[in-house]
Amino acid sequence: MNDRDLVRGLFIIAIALAFGLGSLRYPIGQFSHAGPGLFPLLVSCLLFLVGLITVVRSRFVGHVPLRFNVKNIAIILSSLCGFVLISEHLNMILAIVFMVFCASAAGASYSVRRNLAISAVLVVVAFAFQKLLGVNLPLY
Amino acid sequence: MDVLHNLAFGFEHALTLQNLLFCAVGCTVGTLVGLLPGLGPLATISLLLPLTYSIPTDGALIMLAGIYYGAQYGDSVSAITMKIPHASSIVACIDGYQMTLKGKTGLALFTAGVSSFIGGTVAILVLAWLAPALGKVAFLFGPADYCALMLVGFVCVSFVTTGSLLNGMAMCLIGVLLGQIGTDVNSGMQRFTMNFSFLADGVGLVSIALGCFGIAEITKNLDNRDERSPFNGKINLIPTWAEFKRIFPSALRGSMIGSFLGILPGGGPVIAQFAAYAVDKRFSKYKHEIGSGAIEGVAGQAAADEAAARTSFIPLMSIGIPENAVMALMMAAFIIKGIQPGPNMIAGHPDLFWGLVASMWVGNCFLLILNVPLVRYWLSVFKIPYGALFPSILFFCCIGTYSVNNNLNDIFITAGFGLVGYIFMRLELDAAPLMLGFILGPMLEENFRRALLMSRGNFSSFLTRPISGTLLGFIGIFIVWQVTAFFLQARKTTAHERLPS
Repeated sequence: MNDRDLVRGLFIIAIALAFGLGSLRYPIGQFSHAGPGLFPLLVSCLLFLVGLITVVRSRFVGHVPLRFNVKNIAIILSSLCGFVLISEHLNMILAIVFMVFCASAAGASYSVRRNLAISAVLVVVAFAFQKLLGVNLPLY
Repeated sequence: MDVLHNLAFGFEHALTLQNLLFCAVGCTVGTLVGLLPGLGPLATISLLLPLTYSIPTDGALIMLAGIYYGAQYGDSVSAITMKIPHASSIVACIDGYQMTLKGKTGLALFTAGVSSFIGGTVAILVLAWLAPALGKVAFLFGPADYCALMLVGFVCVSFVTTGSLLNGMAMCLIGVLLGQIGTDVNSGMQRFTMNFSFLADGVGLVSIALGCFGIAEITKNLDNRDERSPFNGKINLIPTWAEFKRIFPSALRGSMIGSFLGILPGGGPVIAQFAAYAVDKRFSKYKHEIGSGAIEGVAGQAAADEAAARTSFIPLMSIGIPENAVMALMMAAFIIKGIQPGPNMIAGHPDLFWGLVASMWVGNCFLLILNVPLVRYWLSVFKIPYGALFPSILFFCCIGTYSVNNNLNDIFITAGFGLVGYIFMRLELDAAPLMLGFILGPMLEENFRRALLMSRGNFSSFLTRPISGTLLGFIGIFIVWQVTAFFLQARKTTAHERLPS
C-alpha cells in the first residue's frame, strides 16, 4: 500500500469522485443548453479516467515508497492557525511572536535570541506596512 | 518604422519617474526572490498582487513583470555559484557550476548577465513586432478554437513542467475543478460551496498560490534540512577580450531559440534553456568544451532563458490565453486592474502595452546594473540562515493573504491549501499546472458552453473548424505518441528482466 504511484492515483480518483458526485446535485441540462452541473461533471469524468490510468500504470512500473513527514507540516499549519486566532482575540504583535517561536520548532536549530530578533524585525515591518502602505493590520 | 514609432511611444511611458521606480523595485525584489530559497516567482507575484491594488495600473504591471524576469535571473546566480536552482535554472548548473569550480565564477556571472541582456533585447524586438500581428489572427478565433487552444496549453504545460502527461493533466483538471467553486455566471447557482458564504465568490487565487507554492515549499525545505554553505570564492568580473568575443555567437543563437520557444503554448524558460544548450553542444565552435565549464554553455542558455521569459507574454497579450502558470497569474493581475488581455488590449490601451514592452528593456538595463557590478553584495544574501528566513516568509504569506480582503479567516484557507500543496508535493504532483487550470477554468467553461450553444449541442463543430480541428489533432497525435512510448518502454524493461533468468 505504501506505493507513491498507487496512492497518487487513488487520491486523484477521490478528488474526481468528490467533484463528480457533487455536480450531480446541480441541473445537468442538455449539451445545447448546458446546466451548471454539466461542465464539472465532464471534467470530473476526465479526471477519474486520468486517476484510473495512473492506478493501472502503477502496477507496471517499479514501486517508490511514499515519504510523508507529519511533524513539520503540522508545526507550520498550527503556527498559522495560532497566528489567526491570536490576532483575532488579542492582537497581531503577540501573534507574530507566537508564530516565530512556534514555526522555528520545525527548523534545524532553535535559538530564543534569534527568534526574538526575527520577531522584532517582523513587528517593525508590520508597522511599516500599516503606516506606509496603508494595509489595515490589527496590530494592537 | 511603425514598430520603432510605437516603441518610442512606449519609452515615453516607461521612462516616467514613477514607472522607473516600479521597474527598479520589481527587478530588485525579483532578483532577491530568485536568490532566496522558498519563494518562487509564482508565490512572490501572488504575494504582491494584493499590494498592487493601490498602485496605478501600468506601474503595477511593470513591477510584476520585473519580478518575473528578475527572479529568472537571480535564480541563475544561485545556480552558478552554488549549484542550487530554486525555480528553473537547471541548465545553468551544468557549465556555470563547472566554471565556479575552475575559479571562474566572475566570468560565468558576467557571461550570464550580458547574455541575458542580449536575450532580453532580441525578445523585446520580437515581442514588439509579433504581438500586434498575432493580435489580428486572434480575431479569427471562435469559442471552440479557444477551448482547443486552452487544451493544447494544458497538454503542453503538463508535459513540459512535470515531464509526465498524466500527472500534469491531473493537476490541470483539479485546477479547473477548483475554479468551479463559487457562483456559476450563467445560472447564478452556487456550486460546491457547501453552503459556506465565503466560498460564494470562489476560492481566493492568492490563497491557493501561497498555500501550494509558499507554505508547501517551506515545509519541503524543512524536511530536507539542508543548511547551505554560503559562497566564499573570489569574483573577478572583467573578462579578457578573447573571452568577451566568445559570448556573442552563442548568446544570439540562444536569444533566437528562446524567443521562438517562449511563444509556443507550454513553452517558457525551462524548455528554452535545454534547447539552447543542446544546440550549442552541437553547433558551437567550442562544442568539445561544453559540459566542462565553457562560456558557451552559460551564454546560450542564459540568453534563451531571458528571451523566453519575455516572449511568453506574447500569447497572453495578443490572444488572451496565458501559456504557463506565471502568465496565468499575470493575467489575473491584468483582470484585477480591469483590463482584459487579448487582441483588443493593444488597440484599447496602447500606452499600457507599449509601456510594458519598453519597460522590459529598461528592466533589462536595471538587471545588468544590479547584477554585474553589484553581484558581490547580492551573494551576501546567502549568509542568512534558513532558520531565520522561513518564519519571515510565513509572516509575509499571512500578510499577503490577509490584505486581499482584510479578512483573517482567509489565512485558514491558505493553511488548508498549504496542506493540500504538501500532499501534492509528496505525491510528485507539480502545482504549477494547477494554477494554470484554476485561472483558465472559468474561461474554458464559458467558451465550451458557448461553442455548444452555437452548434446546438453538436460536438463535431470542435473537429470541423479548421483551427480547433488542427489543435485537437495535435493533442491526439501527442497522446498516441505518449501511449506508444510507454508500451515500448514497458516491453523493453520486461525483456531486460527476462534476460538474467
